[in-house]
Amino acid sequence: MSDSDYKKVPAELIKQRRLYAATIAFIAVLYITASIQTNYNPLRFFFHMGSFFDFLVHGLLPPSYKLSEGLGAILAQNFGMALIPTFIGGLIAFCLCFFASYSTAPNRVSVKIVRALASFQRNLPSSVWLMVLVMAFGVGTSVGLMALTINTLGYLLRGFADVVDEVGNESMEAIDSVGAAYLPKLFQCVIPAALPGFISWLLYAIEINIMSSSIIGAVGGGGIGMVLMSHWKLFRYRTSFGIILVLAANVIAVNFISNYLREKVIK
Amino acid sequence: MPLDNNNTDAGNNILSVSGLKKHYGAVKAVDGVGFSIQAGEIVTIIGRSGAGKSTLMRCINRLVQRDEGSISLCGTEIANDMSHRQLCEMRTKIGFIFQHFNLVYRLSVFQNVMHGRLGYMPTLKGILGRYAEEDKEKAYDIIKSVGLEEQLYKRASDLSGGQKQRVGIARALIQEPVLLMCDEPIASLDPVTSRTIMELIVSQARERGIACLINLHQVDFAREYSTRIIGMRQGKIVFDGPSDTLTDSAVAFIYEGDSQHFSEADSAGSLQKEEYAFV
Ligand SMILES: Nc1ncnc2c1ncn2[C@@H]1O[C@H](COP(=O)(O)OP(=O)(O)O)[C@@H](O)[C@H]1O
Ligand SMILES: [Mg+2]
Repeated sequence: MSDSDYKKVPAELIKQRRLYAATIAFIAVLYITASIQTNYNPLRFFFHMGSFFDFLVHGLLPPSYKLSEGLGAILAQNFGMALIPTFIGGLIAFCLCFFASYSTAPNRVSVKIVRALASFQRNLPSSVWLMVLVMAFGVGTSVGLMALTINTLGYLLRGFADVVDEVGNESMEAIDSVGAAYLPKLFQCVIPAALPGFISWLLYAIEINIMSSSIIGAVGGGGIGMVLMSHWKLFRYRTSFGIILVLAANVIAVNFISNYLREKVIK
Repeated sequence: MPLDNNNTDAGNNILSVSGLKKHYGAVKAVDGVGFSIQAGEIVTIIGRSGAGKSTLMRCINRLVQRDEGSISLCGTEIANDMSHRQLCEMRTKIGFIFQHFNLVYRLSVFQNVMHGRLGYMPTLKGILGRYAEEDKEKAYDIIKSVGLEEQLYKRASDLSGGQKQRVGIARALIQEPVLLMCDEPIASLDPVTSRTIMELIVSQARERGIACLINLHQVDFAREYSTRIIGMRQGKIVFDGPSDTLTDSAVAFIYEGDSQHFSEADSAGSLQKEEYAFV
């Protein structure tokens, strides 16, 4: 290498920089066009700040926890709507993920099919799944659970399959070389190696579902979201705010516990 | 499959390979290889990286599917179309030791060693990991003989490189194999550990009467530890003889860089590009 070589920026890097610049310009243009189209003024919020705070102080405060449903029941429902889809989705994902990783699948076609299925389930948000299901079965908590389960299965399947991919061929090759059959190989080698990854994804699913279960309720999926919406529609803002605070505390607590468990499991 | 029934080969022929070929795209990784190994022999295969040593070994226990040629173990043909069950049964008779140890690192030393028995167990017992008491005792004896009894319940990830390879050796030994294949068993280890590991492999193989086939790239180790040396170059055997007949000029010929090899690598292209990416 000669002395002046460091001055020559590799073509790859220049290309990358141009790509970044073009992307940023593109997003800026999109933003401006969209703002004009929708008549959106980002400063409007500041002009109306006074009334916003007025509403915050007089409309929402102090939050009320006087719920006919009872605080405990609400919490239980929130947890239930997060845990049940995670459990069912996780169980199905566990059974299917071995068909979605090239290192364990019986053939390449099964990988393509299962991954496509997972991608379809994952890429429609649970609220969209809910609309589809509501059209078929009507509103209700069990329909909400179903929508959450479908979406959860979508990303858990993808996540589990990636975890199995990461186990790598080396240890599996060793188990093959001792003459082990397929299922013993899965249970003695792949699953022990993948377990922390599986658990980490399950914890993530609980975190996501504890949030989406409230949203899904608001659009007809029952559960805590429905309770919240019913108060909100009757202008019981203080009660609604009380529920929102409970939900927020719940989400934060679950995240906290989940992070703690994840660290324990992964080390 | 009656493995110890010597119906075709006379005497103590453990492994015979003939006309073995395997290609990857344009690369002839193994290009017409034939040799055989008798009981008690310790054979090393030397050759440059890319000569086809690993591919040869992987074809033997069918981790890799060969294109042509025949292989037999103790007189029984390792056919390309044998059932999966027969394949598993054959593999139990061949211990395989890897350069990168290939352990399940979240499991303990003991659990990793027990994996060597999976090929002998009914599927359900294998799934549940319910090993026979007798096998566990055997495992403990073997773990002692490779010097890991203090590490019995340690996680494999917490071991040093040399200790990890000892686990690999123990896992192969508990298979009670007739043939031990070691693919660069010391290439990831420091020189001092390399020596103790080579000594362990050779002494265990001798003690238990297991024939050994070892890929190495250190010529001095090959001369010191084996009874016979096979030299490979570009997928072909270019030397095969007792260790003390390996002359320096033979070594030079085995390792000689030749232009054809490089031009092939050039036309493959992709590897070279990847290398530039790190410059
Ligand atoms: N899975 C594979 N796919 C493509 N090429 C391979 C593969 N395995 C080995 N090769 C090629 O086959 C040749 C022999 O490789 P290998 O048997 O690993 O040699 P060695 O073990 O002597 O270093 C090399 O040119 C290598 O690039
Ligand atoms: Mg190799």
